[in-house]
Amino acid sequence: MIVCVAVVGHQNNPLYIQSFTEADDALKLHHIVHCSLDVVDERVNNPKKSGPMLNETFLGLLYPIENYKVYGYLTNTKVKFILVTTDIDVKDADVRNFFRRFHAAYVDAVSNPFHVPGKKITSRTFAERVSTIVKSFGFSSAA
Amino acid sequence: MEEYPEELRTPPITLTSLVGCPDLHPLISTYLLSQQPPINTLALPDLSKINLFNKKKPDPDSIGNTSQPPSIVNGILKRDWLLKHRTKIPSVVASLFATDRVFGDPSQWLQVCSDLDSIKSVVRARNIKLVVVLVHTNANDEVSEDRIIALRKRAELEAKYVVILNPNDDSEFQLSLNRLANIFSELSGVYYREEGRRVKQRIEKKNVSSVELIVRYCFKVAVYAEFRSDWTEAMKFYEEAYHTLREIVGVTTRLPAVQRLVEIKSVSEQLHFKISTLLLHSGKVTEAVTWFRQHKNTYKRLVGAPDAIFVHWEWMSRQYLVFGELLETSSKITQNFPPVILGSSSKPLSEWEYYPAYYYQLAAHYMSEKRSALELAISMSETPNEVNSGADSVVPSAYIGQFARLLEEGDNVDMLPLTDEEYTHYTVSEGKRFRDSLEIIALLKKAYESYSGMKIQRMSSFCGFQMAKEYFAEGDIVNAMQLFDSIASLYRKEGWVTLLWEVLGYLRECSRKNGTIKDFVEYSLEMAALPISFDTGVQRDTGPAGPANLRQREVLHKEVFELVGDASVSSKSEDSSNLKITADESVQLEVDLVSPLRLVMFVSVAFHEQTIKPGASTLITISLLSHLPLTVEIDQLEIQFNRSSCNFFITNAQNHQSVEGSDTQQQRTERAPSLLLVSNKWLRLTYNIQSDQSGKLECLSVIAKIGPHFTICCRAESPASLDSLPLWTLEDCIQTVPIKDAVLVFSGQKSTQVEEPDPQVDLCLGASGPALVGEVFLVPVTLVSKGHDVYSGELKINLVDVKGGGLFSPRDSEPYSMDSHHVQLLGISGPEGEDDSQLDSDNIKKIQQSFGLISVPFIKNGDSWSCRLEIKWHRPKPIMLYVSLGYTPNSGESNAQMVHVHKNLQIEGTTAIVINHHYLMPFRRDPLLLTKNKQVSDSEQNKQASESDQPESLPSNQKTVLIVSAKNCTEVPLRLKSLSVEEEDGVERTCSIQHGSEELSKPTLLVPGEEFKKVFSLSSNVNISKLRLGTVCLRWRRDMGVHEKSASTTTLSSWVVTKQKLPDKNVELPPLIVSMECPPYAILGDPFTYCIRILNQTQLLQEIKYSLADAQSFVLCGYHNDTVYVLPKSEHIVSYKLVPLASGMQQLPRFSMTSARYSASYQPSNSSNSVFVFPSKPHFKTAGSTNFRVEESVGNE
Repeated sequence: MIVCVAVVGHQNNPLYIQSFTEADDALKLHHIVHCSLDVVDERVNNPKKSGPMLNETFLGLLYPIENYKVYGYLTNTKVKFILVTTDIDVKDADVRNFFRRFHAAYVDAVSNPFHVPGKKITSRTFAERVSTIVKSFGFSSAA
Repeated sequence: MEEYPEELRTPPITLTSLVGCPDLHPLISTYLLSQQPPINTLALPDLSKINLFNKKKPDPDSIGNTSQPPSIVNGILKRDWLLKHRTKIPSVVASLFATDRVFGDPSQWLQVCSDLDSIKSVVRARNIKLVVVLVHTNANDEVSEDRIIALRKRAELEAKYVVILNPNDDSEFQLSLNRLANIFSELSGVYYREEGRRVKQRIEKKNVSSVELIVRYCFKVAVYAEFRSDWTEAMKFYEEAYHTLREIVGVTTRLPAVQRLVEIKSVSEQLHFKISTLLLHSGKVTEAVTWFRQHKNTYKRLVGAPDAIFVHWEWMSRQYLVFGELLETSSKITQNFPPVILGSSSKPLSEWEYYPAYYYQLAAHYMSEKRSALELAISMSETPNEVNSGADSVVPSAYIGQFARLLEEGDNVDMLPLTDEEYTHYTVSEGKRFRDSLEIIALLKKAYESYSGMKIQRMSSFCGFQMAKEYFAEGDIVNAMQLFDSIASLYRKEGWVTLLWEVLGYLRECSRKNGTIKDFVEYSLEMAALPISFDTGVQRDTGPAGPANLRQREVLHKEVFELVGDASVSSKSEDSSNLKITADESVQLEVDLVSPLRLVMFVSVAFHEQTIKPGASTLITISLLSHLPLTVEIDQLEIQFNRSSCNFFITNAQNHQSVEGSDTQQQRTERAPSLLLVSNKWLRLTYNIQSDQSGKLECLSVIAKIGPHFTICCRAESPASLDSLPLWTLEDCIQTVPIKDAVLVFSGQKSTQVEEPDPQVDLCLGASGPALVGEVFLVPVTLVSKGHDVYSGELKINLVDVKGGGLFSPRDSEPYSMDSHHVQLLGISGPEGEDDSQLDSDNIKKIQQSFGLISVPFIKNGDSWSCRLEIKWHRPKPIMLYVSLGYTPNSGESNAQMVHVHKNLQIEGTTAIVINHHYLMPFRRDPLLLTKNKQVSDSEQNKQASESDQPESLPSNQKTVLIVSAKNCTEVPLRLKSLSVEEEDGVERTCSIQHGSEELSKPTLLVPGEEFKKVFSLSSNVNISKLRLGTVCLRWRRDMGVHEKSASTTTLSSWVVTKQKLPDKNVELPPLIVSMECPPYAILGDPFTYCIRILNQTQLLQEIKYSLADAQSFVLCGYHNDTVYVLPKSEHIVSYKLVPLASGMQQLPRFSMTSARYSASYQPSNSSNSVFVFPSKPHFKTAGSTNFRVEESVGNE
């Protein structure tokens, strides 16, 4: 189950962050998302360690912490997508698929002429679309 | 890791033992320990101690289980088994005998034999290997082979295991020691292998009664393998043991559930520790990390009973901590980072799992889990106190991971098994003794420092945050604040508002506890101004900050303003008792360009004009913005400038009486209808401002006074260079600008330039016309005061090349000289009638080549003062003359404003006189110059060029005429004093010039465009090849017009000397000279003689062909054509008689000749070949012949 998704801008500033848990650990999730930026930075700055992932937007598993797993995605405009999940066994394909759809949603949201680039995404449509994507996570490949 | 016993943490070292001859023991022990691998020795001074190795028949662990059947296993691993093998049971025993005893009398020999027997009996039982060492007591002890063989037989040893030591012979002793060490390591290897094999066989037989034993045996095999450094086998059996142990978990029922799990976990912990250590030591970091992950995953879910769950968390935390420490100590990790393949593709390892900090962080996490579980357990077990006494006597039992109750009845010590309840009580009471938060802080600190060391700042911030929270909970406010502060800056920078809110909440609480009211106000206001408008979803999980939403912001806002508002009111309602403002205290917040409080209040100041006149007023707009959620009412604003005289106040018209201060009477005070600062809306105030002083006028800060005790001092910012507000720019809201005027938004500045007062002094530069090169050009400078007195005036003069660049000559390499400046400022002469020297003495006067500084005396209003600049041009060059006057209009004030007047003037420098010269031969006399002849014949195409030049050379030993002309190129009339040709210094002249240095009788006027010519006759000396003529020297000056008379007498020195060097001339001896003789005029019908002299100056006979063409106007007699031979050094004369037939200017019959030797032909020029024929004899008043006299002629050529 996805517990949190986030869009992080160039200056590592949050553009959109939404948690999907009943439990009240949103702040903790914010911390986790924030910490995962370190991993993204490291991956981007030392591309040779990550080997074949050159030019790939999907960054894979960023780091496992306690009960969560954090996945990352870096768009060509250096906007980062972070996904936090509680699932133990996560299929890479699922995550990739999720990020692809999420990216599409993001592109649509920032293509809005009323959206100023670099500002927080407050579009309600975007939020709805994201929650749909989050809910369908894991089912797409099974179906 | 430190809590593990020593024997577990270090790799096992072979243990041997020495018996007998105690004086040698230290020597041998040290030697063995220095071996590679080292060997530990257990030194027994005499034989009686050998019984220590005896196998105790009743097992030491039998205390607890005597009552139970022997087939039942009581535990998995014995606690002291490893220690026993590390320190108590040697693999080899070396029995040392002195030779004198062995080879002594039979009684001694018997004693040796019995000693040996007793040793053997002990050693056999444990399968320990035996070595016999013979120690030489005396150097000359004789060795009896028989006795040695007997001894060997007695000991049942091979020959090589009997070593002879001779401590008296050094080199031999070393060799024997070496041998002994080799034997020891060999035998110990054998011992451990045999022991291992023995245990292994038990496993392989598969008839082991319980699984616990298999684990134990595997462990033992692995340890024995480790003893002999067989890491692969050790690894294999440790893993075997580990996996077997895992199988027990659900199976065994030997112990109560909780303790069972505890035991299994303890054993697995040890096994895991061993495995990890071995993996890391062999550099298999990735395997180790994978192993750890597997280990963690296996046991993570084995939580156990809920009331003892904290035991599990503690265990988990320890796993992480120990593995982190192992990773850290394993130096491999720093040297080579694991390869690219991060685990298998299905479960990839993240690089994070290679950082020890990651494990510390998680260890801290589990530790905090443990703490909360423990707290729960404590609260549940709060009621019964009687069990505590029982918990006191609980001790670790003989098996790893087991505990038992110690029963002491007199000397009788008994161990009783525990029930789970008892065990839980025991652990709870144990847990109470430790302060977990300190442990957590220590763990987090490790992680924090490790992450910071790797520049992983967000992770380290997170650890720091957790650490600070612990400090906060512990009440260590100082440490907490320090950490929170550093973290807050990162969150501010990256705009993580929710996280920042949280941290600030803690900081606010810290400052409340500290009672620092200023910090409290700052943090509260910053929180209140954070861009949190909608619900962030963070509700209950927050710390002291409360939920992050708009309502909470408003609450904070109100709280602060109540606190600082009215001290008397707040003191009774304030619940936080240590935050109080007394009546004479006040809180002032400073907001600078980088302060986070810019969100709270932010001031932009713009002058409407960039420059203003002194005394004139301009508009200034002060714009304030606040992101506080509620409207703030400001009582008074103080605007501060860099000149305090301009400061002014703006008071709120509605409640001005409250702030009617004491010190505002002389300050300007404006009144604004309202000073309400609405959230997110600019408050714009525009006022007049003026300054009398020139210079920069800058608004420094704006101080807002809110209530009697609270002020906010904001640094003023220019709208043009406005840094956007942090955090709020990221919000999706409309950006507003501080000023409505669109131009000022982009160009408005918080400072303006106040200009100088207008000068009221005229500065006139009165130069007329161009300057002439060489003369001292005077530029009159006049200062006329028209309204200002001039005090401490200073005149600066600058000469600048019009085309830019300096006035230096391009040939900079030349030594410095007067000529290096093309234009030079020579001096400044004082006003007319005033002496120069007087000016010098009391005034500053500084003259450089192109710069001058002169002080101007006091000039009263209406007066004038003048001086003259003397400038000399060395080359024709236009220059720009800059003159600036600086003065103060008032006397006495040292800091008075300087007023500046600037003037500039472009002055052309032109050449006054152009000097030319050319040479002439005497009339009708032509020498044959071979060089010229050759040149002409050589290149027909170059004819023009060569003709335009002066003849290359002059005939030697002949008189030549030099004509020097000087042309006035200026627009003004000039006076010439003299024109002369002078010798150059140091160079001897090689010719004589007649009339060379004669002066003119009186200066000649030379009007513009006119040319002055002077003729010199030149005669060169005989044997030279080069003619040095010298320099033309011309003395002149400007014509003074009507003042000419007086000027010529008074200023004799003002003559300008222009010099021009005449180029050197080549001289050659002409072989032939042709001269024609003809009367100056002829009379119609009157015959005259026309003769041509051909002079041969060579030593050779010259053949000359000549011809004479007929002319219409003359009848002639003589040869038309002929060839003559002119003898050396002689002259031939061809003579004709001519009768003119027509009057007027007539051409004489053309004579032409050719010299055969030089193949040179000659024809006279037209001018020399014509003569004027008068119709009848004219009547002249002859005034003497003027042949070759100095000729003065003035006229246009």
